[in-house]
Amino acid sequence: IFGFFKGLVGQKVLERADLEPALTAMKEHLINKNVAKDISDSLCASVRESLIGQKVSSFKGLNALVKESMEPALQRILTPKKSTDLLRDILAAKAERRPFSIVFCGVNGVGKSTNLAKICFWLLQNKLRVLIAACDTFRSGAVEQLRVHVRNLKSLDLDGQGSASTNIELYEKGYGKEPALIASDAISYARSQKFDVVLVDTAGRMQDNAPLMQALASLVRVNNPDKVVFVGEALVGNDGVDQLVKFNAALKDYSNVAEPRQIDGIVLTKFDTIDDKVGAALSMTYITGQPILFVGTGQTYTDLKKMNVKAVVQALLR
Amino acid sequence: MVLGELGSRLTSALRSMTNATVIDEQVLTTLLNEIAAALLQSDVNIKLVKRLKDGILKKINLDELPPGINRRRLIQTTVFEELCNLVDPGVESFKPKKGKRNVVMFVGLQGAGKTTTCSKLAYHYQRKGWKVALVCADTFRAGAYDQLKQNATKAKIPFFGSYTETDPVQLALEGVQKFSQEGFDVIIVDTSGRHKQESELFEEMKQIEAVVKPDNVIFVMDASIGQAAEAQASAFKDAVNIGSVIITKLDGHAKGGGALSAVAATRSPIMFIGVGEHIYDLERFDVKSFVSKLLGMGDLAGLAEK
Ligand SMILES: Nc1nc2c(ncn2[C@@H]2O[C@H](COP(=O)(O)OP(=O)(O)OP(=O)(O)O)[C@@H](O)[C@H]2O)c(=O)[nH]1
Ligand SMILES: Nc1nc2c(ncn2[C@@H]2O[C@H](COP(=O)(O)OP(=O)(O)OP(=O)(O)O)[C@@H](O)[C@H]2O)c(=O)[nH]1
Ligand SMILES: [Mg+2]
Ligand SMILES: [Mg+2]
Repeated sequence: IFGFFKGLVGQKVLERADLEPALTAMKEHLINKNVAKDISDSLCASVRESLIGQKVSSFKGLNALVKESMEPALQRILTPKKSTDLLRDILAAKAERRPFSIVFCGVNGVGKSTNLAKICFWLLQNKLRVLIAACDTFRSGAVEQLRVHVRNLKSLDLDGQGSASTNIELYEKGYGKEPALIASDAISYARSQKFDVVLVDTAGRMQDNAPLMQALASLVRVNNPDKVVFVGEALVGNDGVDQLVKFNAALKDYSNVAEPRQIDGIVLTKFDTIDDKVGAALSMTYITGQPILFVGTGQTYTDLKKMNVKAVVQALLR
Repeated sequence: MVLGELGSRLTSALRSMTNATVIDEQVLTTLLNEIAAALLQSDVNIKLVKRLKDGILKKINLDELPPGINRRRLIQTTVFEELCNLVDPGVESFKPKKGKRNVVMFVGLQGAGKTTTCSKLAYHYQRKGWKVALVCADTFRAGAYDQLKQNATKAKIPFFGSYTETDPVQLALEGVQKFSQEGFDVIIVDTSGRHKQESELFEEMKQIEAVVKPDNVIFVMDASIGQAAEAQASAFKDAVNIGSVIITKLDGHAKGGGALSAVAATRSPIMFIGVGEHIYDLERFDVKSFVSKLLGMGDLAGLAEK
């Protein structure tokens, strides 16, 4: 009797057209959460493929069904595929008696210098010796900005000694000089002075600005840093995708080496300014397959967090 | 440049309509969907896109059109007008008044380009013969005063700020008073970046506005901003009396749709656009030519007025 009843009510086979309204709603929902349009499109397309041909008892719950199938996809994209344990990597370099170098790059004003300073704070808390290399030799006040951060960080009594810390220093050569050269001098200096980490600040640049992108590629090629970190802001819309694609392309196209470097990780800034419109996190990881190493959540040194993938997925689907 | 890509998409959408033999409901819907997709890809707020679509549909009721009318032309002009409405609040943009002290205050999100644009605007007015000065009321960001100072020095613009004063309200007041007494025509006040989620920062902005009594508050927005633009812009609008908008970084690939949505939220005209990091990288914004360019059709402006 039960079987007969079930056959009568449902067991409809889902076809493309049945899914369209629910998928359109989901697409708009994701766009509204600031997921890039193309990425919303392709995510919905793959959910469609996975659902076509499935049997359902009624068409009523299709929105929920789409949401249910979207969730693991989002989870998968946002979950890092490789270790995000920077400290472990740094300690490994330390064991080899060499400084671990990280280059921060990205477009203008996204928070490269500020989040570099926050990461420096975190490294100091972990008792590492950090050298900051001022390789933005273009933007007014860029060097002074780092100098203020270094002064602030020096005066934080992290080691409980009550005296200015010797674990942090600024390496700068003022303005107008060749950034790649300053970075390489800084790394040599760090090696001789036994610094554990070199944080290289670079000038903001638009991804279509060929000369500036070339200069970045050259800085990376010459110095072959341990990590190339892309700094992107959570506020960014569809341009975020273009930024990442073109930064990677520039590192490849302008380097003339067989195995060019690519972006190794992302710092997602200004996460405190977007409420639940967390889509940029998804767009950036989707496009690069690289992990979000840190999330910037404010303007002070402690406003640096690890990303909570579950919370982001929930915010995206809510 | 800027909206080039969106422009060519819209143009090809309009062209495909021109080529279609019969213009029926389906052709119109396809066209509107294409336009909506292009606008979404350019970060125009999703609610605005819907409103735009509905607005066009409502204006063009294909069933009730008199038989003789040119349907293609009607659709083209309607699209043009609705796009203009999107970026044009119908208010004249700010111009400093001769023989009077003009105070301009810059506000906006962190890193939007306020300090850079302040210097650009000061340079722009200075070249036009105004007596201009810059005031740094950002006591928060590391190196903020040095940044403004270096820009101002390069352009030979008088400036005021402090390394020791920590109260931005006090600094703004002192700076404006000083330059007022010295008879400056245009006094531009730079402030820290802030966002709606931190109410104290907004409170500070209101206090600065209260003491400097600006003739115009300029809201600076980054062209790359996405769907969060509207909420931030509305919050700024509610907190201070925004008079103009400047969209920055339009030399990049970003199409500025998010920032355009901010215009809709603030109902304030776009005064200038920023097109580079140098002090001269500032351009006037003009709605009609902007939308014509957007559509890739120079003659549409004429059409719309008929
Ligand atoms: N609310 C918020 N603001 C941030 C965050 N990270 C950085 N900022 C602010 O963003 C602004 C720009 O930061 P910078 O570090 O100077 O950005 P940048 O990328 O180095 O800029 P350029 O070097 O000029 O390209 C500053 O006002 C920072 O305080 C964050 O996580 N949240
Ligand atoms: N390419 C380009 N860069 C720009 C433009 N306007 C500003 N910038 C850059 O954007 C970055 C941030 O600019 P700022 O003027 O420091 O921004 P801000 O709003 O004052 O930042 P906060 O004071 O930290 O909130 C800098 O690297 C500027 O050079 C523009 O129109 N084009
Ligand atoms: Mg910087
Ligand atoms: Mg500033």
